[in-house]
Amino acid sequence: MDLKEKLTILADSAKYDASCSSSGSNRKSNGIGNTAVAGICHSFSADGRCISLLKILLTNCCIYDCKYCLNRRTNNIKRATFTSLEICSITMNFYRRNYIEGLFISSGIIKSPDYTMNLIIDAISLLRNKYHFGGYIHAKAIPGASDVLIKKLGLLVDRLSANVELPTEEGLKLLAPNKESDKVDKIMNYVNKNKSNKFVPAGQSTQMIIGATSENDLDIMTKSSKLYENHKLKRVFYSAYIPVNKDNLLPTLDKPPLLREHRLYQADWLLRYYNFKVDEILDKDNPNFNLLLDPKANWALKHLEEFPKEINTCSYLDLLKIPGIGVTSAKRIISSRKYFTIDFKDLKKMGIVLKRAKYFITCNKKYFTSENMFNKKIIERNLILEETIEKNTNIEQLTLFK
Amino acid sequence: MKKSNYIFLYNNEFIDLLNLIKLLIKKRIIPLNIKNDKYQANLFEETLKLDYEQDDNIINEIIKASSKEVFNTIYKIFLSNKDDKEIIIYYFLLQSFKYKNKIFYMRNLCGVNEALKITKYVEHETHKFKGFLRFKELKGNILYAEIEPENNILFFVSKHFQRRLKNEYWIIEDKKRNLLSIYDKNKFFLTSTENFTLMQKELSECEEDVLELWKSFYKTIAIKERTNERCRMNFMPKKYWKYIIEMSDEIEKNS
Repeated sequence: MDLKEKLTILADSAKYDASCSSSGSNRKSNGIGNTAVAGICHSFSADGRCISLLKILLTNCCIYDCKYCLNRRTNNIKRATFTSLEICSITMNFYRRNYIEGLFISSGIIKSPDYTMNLIIDAISLLRNKYHFGGYIHAKAIPGASDVLIKKLGLLVDRLSANVELPTEEGLKLLAPNKESDKVDKIMNYVNKNKSNKFVPAGQSTQMIIGATSENDLDIMTKSSKLYENHKLKRVFYSAYIPVNKDNLLPTLDKPPLLREHRLYQADWLLRYYNFKVDEILDKDNPNFNLLLDPKANWALKHLEEFPKEINTCSYLDLLKIPGIGVTSAKRIISSRKYFTIDFKDLKKMGIVLKRAKYFITCNKKYFTSENMFNKKIIERNLILEETIEKNTNIEQLTLFK
Repeated sequence: MKKSNYIFLYNNEFIDLLNLIKLLIKKRIIPLNIKNDKYQANLFEETLKLDYEQDDNIINEIIKASSKEVFNTIYKIFLSNKDDKEIIIYYFLLQSFKYKNKIFYMRNLCGVNEALKITKYVEHETHKFKGFLRFKELKGNILYAEIEPENNILFFVSKHFQRRLKNEYWIIEDKKRNLLSIYDKNKFFLTSTENFTLMQKELSECEEDVLELWKSFYKTIAIKERTNERCRMNFMPKKYWKYIIEMSDEIEKNS
């Protein structure tokens, strides 16, 4: 099998992992390469996702039989395995030409978790120590591998992660009977405890498949929130389920639930940067996100008594609660209002998008239009209208994929 | 300060512009506009060339009177492709002498928002090119890249690759401005294509194979069920495709 065919097989098998980030590390080396704290996107594929890393599997051979996975044991597909040398050669050739920011390597399980981990470690140590590669490396830890190996790998890479795959234990039992969630937990624990400038400097992330099992958004967000709290994860990635196998246990979908995935990302942002708690945005009576409205706008409409907020006086945390105001805008408002009183005209000059925000604020005690327009029904209708226009003209999902 | 109806001319160089602005502020003149001396004035416009100093020390003077951040900002504006960049620099400098670094928060002042927006635009494009730039390996182990950015970001991009590919010989050519950045494993220097001709651009032996490998990776990694042309275009506008080698097939397909 030639290298091109191998790469095609092993990239094809790796593409369902959503993680693409190359950020959070500040590595310098004497050899080739460094990393950029902010991360760099090198290209965008036809699905609009960023290509930052050479995303491949070491092998797509696997002893497991997870129902949702293309590489499951019982699938009759072409199998391939990279040698360490091949991985190094492709990575170096791509990196020198500035095609990529680094390597993202995962693997099917051959023989045993430890055996597979050793293969990954071999490839990456060759890359780091013989080729003096100083670019970004994200490796997947194999659940069930021993601590010694996790330590060894963690010292070589920027990011090490293990995928939760399914948000609940029941889901896992149903679709991935060979995987146990406590093994993933164990890795996350170990990485979190030992994280340093030398060991997994860019932290860990994980991924959940959305829509393959019956969990609702509340289950998913609760899981995420726990992961952020207990293991200090940098990111949880959500991956809309795409049917690659036929199985009675799997749902049949016309289209992957992309909008739902988008809402989960928006909510994920609210948890990490906007100081929201899961029970503020979802509850037992409303366990799923409103597909018509983004989670923050949805929350704001339910708590209209907290609005409108006065731009010139309300706190930073209050600014963050305003739909349409992000971290950059909130910071800009805080630092500007020290020097002058802000009115609507100034907000525009400051580059703050008012499309959603205008319904929820006052500037110098003035509302943007007549005050009797501050009414739940009117605002809701306008917001949904804006969102529909936006969706039809552009961006939709993935703008959060950085 | 008094308003003038003249368009003041400077000698195309950043240092010249700064010296001219210094003189204008000293004479308390608010110019109608400032343009480089290649500017073609129309019938109703009057241009004026002042006899300003040619003082390199102006950079230090400006940093002292405002701040390093202000200086970096106006340099980025100067490298932008905006038509009115000179007059925007004038207003931004004038006000930053008064407000120092507070200027960055005073977007309500005349021209400040405009200036900061242009800075962002230049920084943003620099960041994009750190990713979108593609090297080809030439015979003799030299990496060569062509770019056509909107703004003159060759210097900033070169700084990035000086750190990243420090043990390589590389050359980056700005095809729009006929500029070259040449790196010799130690320092890079910028020069015009008039002063330096690339004798050969023949590709190294393995180059085609690596490119083919990359193209097939690029095609494979997209998830068919998630195809989203608009989203791709948003992040990677078509104007940049020409030199993003994995897009060459797409360009053919579209034309």
